[in-house]
Amino acid sequence: MTSEGLLVVETERFRGPLDLLLHLIRSQDIDIFDIPVARITRQFLAAIEELSANDVDEAGEFLEMAAALVRIKARMLLPGPSGEEDQDPRAELVRRLLEYEQIREIALRLRTAENDRGRRFAKGFVEPRPRTIAGDVPLTVTWDEVMAAAAGVVAPEEREREHRVFTRPVAMREKVDLIVAAVTRARRIEFDRLIAPWKERVHAVMTLLAGLELGRRRVVSLRQRKPFSPLWIYRGSNVGADVSDMAADDADAVPNEMERDS
Amino acid sequence: MNDASIVEAILFASDAPLTPGDIARADETLDEDRVEAALAALRADYDRSGRAFELREVADGVQLMTRPEFAPYLERFDTVPRTSRLSGPALEALAIVAYRQPISRIEVEYVRGVNSTGVIRTLIERGLVEGVARGEGVGRPVLYGTTSRFMEHFGFASLEDLPRPEDLPVVLRESETTSDLENEEA
Repeated sequence: MTSEGLLVVETERFRGPLDLLLHLIRSQDIDIFDIPVARITRQFLAAIEELSANDVDEAGEFLEMAAALVRIKARMLLPGPSGEEDQDPRAELVRRLLEYEQIREIALRLRTAENDRGRRFAKGFVEPRPRTIAGDVPLTVTWDEVMAAAAGVVAPEEREREHRVFTRPVAMREKVDLIVAAVTRARRIEFDRLIAPWKERVHAVMTLLAGLELGRRRVVSLRQRKPFSPLWIYRGSNVGADVSDMAADDADAVPNEMERDS
Repeated sequence: MNDASIVEAILFASDAPLTPGDIARADETLDEDRVEAALAALRADYDRSGRAFELREVADGVQLMTRPEFAPYLERFDTVPRTSRLSGPALEALAIVAYRQPISRIEVEYVRGVNSTGVIRTLIERGLVEGVARGEGVGRPVLYGTTSRFMEHFGFASLEDLPRPEDLPVVLRESETTSDLENEEA
């Protein structure tokens, strides 16, 4: 009787069963207040027939609507319990369809507003673009290698400790003079050479402290290319400056001042 | 420094709309009336001198925004903040929340006829919708409402700017003639 047979519907185009139902009704100029339930149900079922079972939830939503349509048709055929015949079984479905149609229209208006707003730019926080993180590197170590590495672990050697107590601190003055003399002689000197004559760590400590203080006063400058590389002490711009006050820092060390060990 | 310059500096530096009350907090000498006067002066100044930006009323406040005709130039820059567009289903769910708030997820799903867990989560993540109350009934479901971010996203000055249902072309009462329906198809 109609072009019913030619109706081809791709369910993927629709946002859900209400969307599909509305399409069937509006595209065939059907009066929404007098829906031919049997015909629409047939078309609806035909449309969802090829619905892929990939998305069970989605398929379920369409099937639920199909069941509701069949129930409505059944209620229209059967005489309802007395006192209920005034209510058209289609009423709730019609109300939902109209409500959904209205929401769809509002969503279109919101899209327009969104587009208009999108053409206006305001200051705002720009999220830093995510930096690509290197993926996990597959572990390529074999058990043999692990075993070899484990076998290579040597227990730390017991080292003989020297229990020596230094009662006489090394005077900073001595180290200041040493450094100043060195950079006066040559443009630069390696820190290791300055401390080479002494075994005790305290000499190195005092030499470093003296070097840092002289560096602060720009009598020398300290340079190191990278961590743990040799430290060089260079002649600084204030090399001639009076540094005699630095001895005051270890005034109480002066009476105990020792000769060099060497 | 006059009021207008102070207000302009604040609007320039702010990344969110400010109400005249917010702006008045900048200085003891300012109050809402003076801020309003300064805003009017700025507005007139921008229009007269043909500035690339203008004062827009957004989300119950004002914000400096470029005029739409500059969009093609700005869109080429990653350093220009841009809001991404919502998906169709997200817009649908958002429309339902906007008009029926406070509303539960189940009710949104009934109106749409499809599961809406994912789209509602997206809307929450984007700060457009938030839980505003708890409903009655089993489990006391969360009821959702729109945020001021929602108004910013669509450039609405207030919720009054939402399209009114009575202005919509959808035939709610009757569909008497086919011509009505044809108009709708178009």
